[in-house]
Amino acid sequence: MNITWTRKDLLEIYDLTAAEIELILDTAEEFKKVCQRNVKKVPALRGKTVVNFFVEPSTRTRISFELAEQRLSADIINMAGSSSSLTKGETLLDTIKNIEALQADIIVMRHSAPGAHEFIARHTKCGVVNAGDGAHGHPTQGLLDIFTIREKFGSLKGLNVSIIGDILHSRVARSNMWGLLKLGANVTFAGPATLCPREFEEVGVRVCHNLREALVGADVVNLLRIQHERQHCGFFPSTTEYNQFFGLNNDSLKWLKPHALVMHPGPINRDVELSSDIADGERSVILEQVSNGMAVRMAVLFLTAGVL
Amino acid sequence: MNTKSHYILSGARVVDPSQGIDRIMDIGVANGIIVDPAEITNPEIIDLAGKVVAPGFIDVHVHLRQPGNTGAETIATGTRAAAAGGFTGVVAMPNTHPCCDSAGTIELIKRDSQRHARVRVYTCGCLSKNMEGKEMAPIGSLKNAGVVALSDDGRCIQDHNLMRHVVAYAKSFGLPIMDHCEDESLKGDGVMHEGKWSVLLGMQGIPGAAEEIIVQRNIILANTIDWKIHIQHISTRESVDMIRRARARGIQVTAEATPHHISLTDECIKRFDTNYKMNPPLRTEDDRQGVIEGLRDGTITIIATDHAPHTYTQKETEFDIAPFGIIGLETAIPVCLTELYHTGILTLSELVAKFTTGPAELLGLEVGTLKNGAHADITIIDPDLEFVYDVSQSYSKSRNTPFNGMKFKGRAIGTVVNGNFVFGEKKA
Amino acid sequence: MPQKKLIFNKAQMDEAIDRIADEIIAEFKVTSTNSNPIALLGIQRQGVPFAQRLSAAIKRKTGSSPLEGILDISMYRDDFGLRKTLPVIYETIIPFDVDDCNVIIADDVLASGRTIRAALDALTDYGRPRIIRLATLLDRVCNEYPIRADYAGLHYKAAHNRKIVVEFEESNGTDGIFEKHWDKGGDYKE
Repeated sequence: MNITWTRKDLLEIYDLTAAEIELILDTAEEFKKVCQRNVKKVPALRGKTVVNFFVEPSTRTRISFELAEQRLSADIINMAGSSSSLTKGETLLDTIKNIEALQADIIVMRHSAPGAHEFIARHTKCGVVNAGDGAHGHPTQGLLDIFTIREKFGSLKGLNVSIIGDILHSRVARSNMWGLLKLGANVTFAGPATLCPREFEEVGVRVCHNLREALVGADVVNLLRIQHERQHCGFFPSTTEYNQFFGLNNDSLKWLKPHALVMHPGPINRDVELSSDIADGERSVILEQVSNGMAVRMAVLFLTAGVL
Repeated sequence: MNTKSHYILSGARVVDPSQGIDRIMDIGVANGIIVDPAEITNPEIIDLAGKVVAPGFIDVHVHLRQPGNTGAETIATGTRAAAAGGFTGVVAMPNTHPCCDSAGTIELIKRDSQRHARVRVYTCGCLSKNMEGKEMAPIGSLKNAGVVALSDDGRCIQDHNLMRHVVAYAKSFGLPIMDHCEDESLKGDGVMHEGKWSVLLGMQGIPGAAEEIIVQRNIILANTIDWKIHIQHISTRESVDMIRRARARGIQVTAEATPHHISLTDECIKRFDTNYKMNPPLRTEDDRQGVIEGLRDGTITIIATDHAPHTYTQKETEFDIAPFGIIGLETAIPVCLTELYHTGILTLSELVAKFTTGPAELLGLEVGTLKNGAHADITIIDPDLEFVYDVSQSYSKSRNTPFNGMKFKGRAIGTVVNGNFVFGEKKA
Repeated sequence: MPQKKLIFNKAQMDEAIDRIADEIIAEFKVTSTNSNPIALLGIQRQGVPFAQRLSAAIKRKTGSSPLEGILDISMYRDDFGLRKTLPVIYETIIPFDVDDCNVIIADDVLASGRTIRAALDALTDYGRPRIIRLATLLDRVCNEYPIRADYAGLHYKAAHNRKIVVEFEESNGTDGIFEKHWDKGGDYKE
């Protein structure tokens, strides 16, 4: 291993080289072992302060980060947008400056505005870790998905990965896409025509509006959550119709190779994106994604803290 | 500010499209009027060999922010920036606070301009009351107050029936309409052009159709009512095509393009720098070429900056919530000379016309000319001066520009209003 | 000062390893029946080939194979953020139960003792050994921390601005222990 981590922030996978992605994954492998032993803690971030600033609310990602931080022995502060002074009209920039003044080392932020992290990273010497910025990116999710795939297949080169669902609004799809492309995988996006834009073809992604095309030959299928609000905005008629044409169920499962992985970033809408028995079945690695998420986040925090 | 009343601008290349002139010659100025140089006794000679002298440039789309938003700009600072950019006149957009939907606000702007403005400030009235697009503004009374045009810039009347009445009524007062063409339902919450980059970045997009639908609406109204509708900040190839076909049929539509739509595209946004956020947004390379073709073949007769100052606090924020707009008075000539003249796309005369005869025809004013007897409003340019733009030296109160640190070739070095140098030295 | 000066050669290294193996065998009364198992835990990176050679020597002499493990201590360092380059995390593989085990930590060079302090923290997060011993191929006699080797093959007192580098054929191509000029702020454990 001859590359070293030099970034104070993790903003998006788009910015990383393939070697940097591999470094994170290799580091995460070791942290996964820590999570599996009795004492799930290491003193690596002892004395460091991490602020979890979830302007856009989240339960699962926030808990995953919190636990990762605790296992690294960091001191943690949790801030939610709704209870911060943002509600009093304080600008995001001022809020971040205040956090910095409290000697925080790392800020883990989720925000609804794309590019919010890039913006604050310019203005603070704290390390900034992106836990989601609108529909733009969710790099730790992309990394943990890739980690899961790499664990099963060894390498991503030439692997066929299909991501199904509301691609248009999905930060998970975008982060996955950049990482998979950089590591040499073949990426397919599939979903209703209103939610699966062809513009992605310009960066080398295959786009189709037909589930069968996306599943045949795929080594990995990653199903995105479909949000009911999109139905009300006129993007698709009903979740029933969505499940019929884009859901992974016993009918569509037969198009999938026997060894193919079934993934989902969670939380699952059972019997919408995929049927219950597939979600709980042997091809599903959904729960492993959650464990891997812990290891990946520990790795990201460890590498970031080392640069500050 | 020198106020020597008699002088000759000597040896410059004089480019005056209003008279079809492009040659080395002398221009005489006496008591604020252009005169035959031979008629001046004891004039001061200002040697401008190697420079270009043109009629004073007019920017028909400037936000001076006064009254109401003077944190970002005032009439004083905005007109200083205009002078530094080579402009002798600006049309002040009416989306002030309060907006220019009453004669009182127009009077206020006129009074403040008399006291503080460096260059000529032409006022513009609103189309609708409070720019809400529901009821017509008191257009007759605004005409009496001295506005030269009408606009709801920043907003756009969505009710076509109302727009129809406004155009007809404005015609009866001889006031051209300048429209910011935008269908609000298509614009939605968009913050950048809807296309490859908005999809890759996960941002809400503004489709070209949001502009094109209203451009077409305006063409139809200009045709049926037979009146002047001017399309502000045109940005898509399709919009330019529609204007081209309409003008070929003799419909009284005109269009303006901004220097940023001539030189930048939506790809610039990938680092979320809000200095690339404006409305209409930066579009694709194909759209940019469409706008340039429109300038070249005369479809687009005006270049205007849409100078939109915002304070640092307002602009330096998340991309989604940053206000639209950039300053542009001091970079217009450098950008246009670099992108359009030095590349051979436009001749110097064609470029000068976009700032002189184009605005003069639209507004129906006796400006943009150096013929004898005209007001001595003059723009002096060094077309070959290479420099790096440093926004920290700007005369504007605001700093929101995408051009900071960029290299340009050519800029204004002197600006004369009524015979007085409002920017630049009289000595060469 | 030459860039790299040989201070101990292969023969001296082999002899030192052999001697340490004998000391371990004597203390733990290692026999082929393996009734009192010992575990050799090599510290990444150069402690790993050292531990392997030690293990091979013990096996050769007694017929009994010690348990073997690899420990990376990057997550336990106390100089995080003070270093010029970020520590790279190498593999940790401890395939035996640490509880109640006789663990011999093996590292190529004992200098300040900070690495071993980190190794003790790491090891005790895996369980509760019965006994912990420290074996080092070369002891620099630095005394920064109150940590002493139980078994030391070679001794060498070097100035603070000198680095001692152990090379093994398995990882570097040839055997040898060298003294080098130390680049301040550089990475000890390269």
